[in-house]
Amino acid sequence: MKNIEVPALARVEGEGGLFIGLKNGKAVEIRLDIYEPPRFFEGFLRNRFLQEVPDITARICGICPVAYQMSSAFALENALGIKVGHQARALRRLMYCGEYIESHALHIYMLQAPDLLGKQSAFEVAAIAPDVVKNALRLKKIGNQILKAIGGRSIHPVNVCVGGFYSWPQAASLTALLPELEWGLQASIDCVKWAVTLPFPELEIDYEFVALHHPDEYGVIEGEVWSSKGRKLSVQDYETAYIEEHIEHSNALHGRTVDGNTYLVGPLARLNLNHAQLLPIAQKSLKDSKIKLPLRNPYKSLIARAIELVQFFEEAIQLVKAYKPDGPAHLELKLKAGNGAAATEAPRGLLYHRYQIDGNGLIEFAKITPPTAQNLPRIEADLFALAPKIVSMSHADATLTAEHLVRAYDPCISCATHFLKLKVEEIEK
Amino acid sequence: MKIAVIGIGQSLRGDDAAGLETVRRWQEEYPETAARPEVQIEASELPGLALLDLLEDVDAAVLVDAVQSLKKPGRLHQLGPNELSAFAPDSQSAHGWGVAETLQLGRRLNPALDEIPIRIIGIEAEQILMGSGLSQAVNEAIPSACRAVEQEVNRFLSNANFKELGIKE
Repeated sequence: MKNIEVPALARVEGEGGLFIGLKNGKAVEIRLDIYEPPRFFEGFLRNRFLQEVPDITARICGICPVAYQMSSAFALENALGIKVGHQARALRRLMYCGEYIESHALHIYMLQAPDLLGKQSAFEVAAIAPDVVKNALRLKKIGNQILKAIGGRSIHPVNVCVGGFYSWPQAASLTALLPELEWGLQASIDCVKWAVTLPFPELEIDYEFVALHHPDEYGVIEGEVWSSKGRKLSVQDYETAYIEEHIEHSNALHGRTVDGNTYLVGPLARLNLNHAQLLPIAQKSLKDSKIKLPLRNPYKSLIARAIELVQFFEEAIQLVKAYKPDGPAHLELKLKAGNGAAATEAPRGLLYHRYQIDGNGLIEFAKITPPTAQNLPRIEADLFALAPKIVSMSHADATLTAEHLVRAYDPCISCATHFLKLKVEEIEK
Repeated sequence: MKIAVIGIGQSLRGDDAAGLETVRRWQEEYPETAARPEVQIEASELPGLALLDLLEDVDAAVLVDAVQSLKKPGRLHQLGPNELSAFAPDSQSAHGWGVAETLQLGRRLNPALDEIPIRIIGIEAEQILMGSGLSQAVNEAIPSACRAVEQEVNRFLSNANFKELGIKE
């Protein structure tokens, strides 16, 4: 069998190449190549005023701008020693609901479902099941509408600032979303039922799962960094356990634990570590699905995403109903030199930011660790685990199976490198 | 009647910002047209599939985006949506959902979208490097791109039968 090479991965955000080198029927080399100047944004932020940062970091990714701007806002608030009030925090969670709904609907139906249904793309799915794709677009649009109602713009929201929001959104524009949110909740419950029927490839991996954990809510914006190996750290100590290293073939840094292990962030990690914090309807969906946790099959992250869709529709409805803006939308900033870190859960996994600011509020140092960079070594390791299964397949099937695995991770290559390229190739015998 | 003028691109990726910059400068240079109540202006970085939401309830649309087709940087392309896929095979690229791909999907799911005349003004990009600003060739092409936007919007505004325009060209 020939090497597998996919010069540009379709249905992956950003640009990536995958190369799998095969020799005597065994995978001897696997490279996930990244072709983007990796740490551009960290340099770009230096000497900028801190209030510019959320607007700039929102531009790192077109799919998860909220997570990027919010991680930076929380980190800078920590540097200043301030904490936003209850309603601003709730509104920020509502923005994450919008982002998760949009991102997960896109990934489940448009990016990964074609692989599971044996279709080349969402176009082919649209041809056989137009209603499925129409529902997917409707779900995605609801997420977008939440972001637009709060953020002022649907892509790269502009209303978030260090200290809260520039202005409170109109309550009426949020409550107007309720009928669609109720529809979306039912559609996502149905999505879980449908997801468990899909023909997922068999692959069980003994991952170290890492996610943000909060005792009182499904971990998204604050809490501790938990690992399935028992490590529990405050976000401030994140860098003592999780490090990034340069890999020769990749522009992106690769994440490792200090013990040199790979680890997994994202929907599987969140569901496995935080399922007890799911809201009641999401909890019921999980129970009815009869899936056994921990889920260790990377392809089945689609099921975790579907359960999270239920969670975030359910939570969005609660947050919209409870919305009561009161007082100023943002805190007054008193500038001082400081160092602050924050982690939030982007749809693709834990996203860590740390900033050092001077007494005038200018950025002296920025560190951004995106979820895909943390998952890259894990994706490569999974491909090694998958290799024995694919060597007996036809070249086309092997390529598709490997590509599907990478797509199942929903790698946002634009944020990892913040761009990636996937390629699979074969070395001569 | 509602005419959408949509600038598409990433503001921190060199010439990819050409679409956003064109729409911004067109608003400055042709304020009377831009202020018309029928005209709805959007600047959208990486809209992906959300482009379909932006096209909802509009009667005509002008999309302005950077393109790469191995032509001379700064060259203008004025196209209907049917011509787009000929030089932008987005489905095989990794840029998520490009304009061509999104319009194809939208039209497959919603035949009514076929009835909406859409004109695309593409500006040939030279480089799309992070944070590098517009290249000289693209910057020099922005005034003619603005004129093209103005021309297309006026054509839609002035032609009572504007639904006949656009996609068949």
